Amino acid sequence: MRLFSRRVHELAGAYALDALDDAERERFERHLARCPACAEDVRRMASTATALAMAVSTEPPPELKARVLAAAAATPQLPPRPAAATAGIRHGRRVTRPDWFPRLALGVAAVGVAAAVVLAVVTVSTQDRLDRLQTQNQAIAAVLAAPDAQIASAASSKGGTATVVLSYAEQKMIFTSTGLPALPDNKVYELWLLSTGSAQPAGLLPEPTDGKTAPVLAAGLTSADKVGVTVEPAGGTSSPTTTPILVMTLPD
Amino acid sequence: MTIPTGPRHRISRAEARDASAPRPDGSPPPRDDTDLERLLALVARGDQDAFETLYDKLSGPVYGLVRKVLRDPAQSEEVTQEVMLEVWRAASRFDPGRGSATTWALTIAHRRAVDRVRSESASAEREQRSAPFPFSVDDVAETVEASMDAEQVRRCLEGLTELQREAITLAYYGGFSYPQVASKLEVALGTVKTRIRDGLMRLGNCLGRSS
Repeated sequence: MRLFSRRVHELAGAYALDALDDAERERFERHLARCPACAEDVRRMASTATALAMAVSTEPPPELKARVLAAAAATPQLPPRPAAATAGIRHGRRVTRPDWFPRLALGVAAVGVAAAVVLAVVTVSTQDRLDRLQTQNQAIAAVLAAPDAQIASAASSKGGTATVVLSYAEQKMIFTSTGLPALPDNKVYELWLLSTGSAQPAGLLPEPTDGKTAPVLAAGLTSADKVGVTVEPAGGTSSPTTTPILVMTLPD
Repeated sequence: MTIPTGPRHRISRAEARDASAPRPDGSPPPRDDTDLERLLALVARGDQDAFETLYDKLSGPVYGLVRKVLRDPAQSEEVTQEVMLEVWRAASRFDPGRGSATTWALTIAHRRAVDRVRSESASAEREQRSAPFPFSVDDVAETVEASMDAEQVRRCLEGLTELQREAITLAYYGGFSYPQVASKLEVALGTVKTRIRDGLMRLGNCLGRSS
């Protein structure tokens, strides 16, 4: 047992440099959760790695900034992790990394809060609509909370940016956009899940508020590897009739 | 590295030395990160202006690191965008007790870059792109501060054994897993593990001492 523990401990350096495969990383993180000395080693080595990164600092192309800021404006944020959930997660079996390490997951307990945050993005008028939105928002929160949630974004050929958060575990995707050009009343933006040779309709984008469209939840995310948006007649169609103004490759 | 001569330079060196005396635990001195942490707290509350300032401060380090690992400028831009969006999205999850804001963001960046590079099927292409000691003068950013960082890091890397240095640079800048590093350097797995660990400790000590 001691030998095992010492050998796991030796992985701290490789862990701090992301040089472990997924299985070993998880094993090390389980060890880390109950080894304060290892956590301290990792903290120190991660800070050394930061110096390695700072040494190769390079300014990105200036146009990236506007894209990132626009995408951020359309991207819902995670709520703070509630204290109780943090404690439960840190000691629970599901935890596989120290929680300051980036992980798209959040505690199940945070789902309610996430729902409230997402809800704030949407304008509501009637109780009935509110109820329907609440249901939708819970589904959105579940995607945000999924341990495998990932984020991706892409620019539209007509201007504007789309951002998705998706979870293959939930088989769902949340689509938001900002800055897409306004359409005449008889047209609508339609969302598609694309895979080789097929385009599955995934919903219509709502009217934008301040240039942003409220989150659209698309279910049935199984074989699709891309998301597309086309301009279609009001009410939408069952298969695309125009060239997509945006195609985004989904992360694996 | 040239000896600084201007009075202005001398003052800033002296200040830098005072602010970052050698630390007993051997880790590099903390960067002036309080500013970033304050910004991150504002970002966590949805402050888009704070995010813009944070972008200005972090996009260089993030893009530089991602590009070092991925090489391809277009992919690096894409991943930088994802990383900055993740910083925006998960700002509330940053815990200052566990490391600096810069380390947090760069940990996200490195993980993303590595995920991307390992999912690439064309690994043969990567073999060609990665030099054994991937660190060149071209990588050095232009600002004085970054040059000082780079110079110091280069000097401390040179203080490692060849195997330590190669293992660390292949893993961190090359994005290779340690079994890949072992096979490239033709040494045993266990050797790579310990060389990375000992090398990082030594590097941390050197950076803490010499700043």
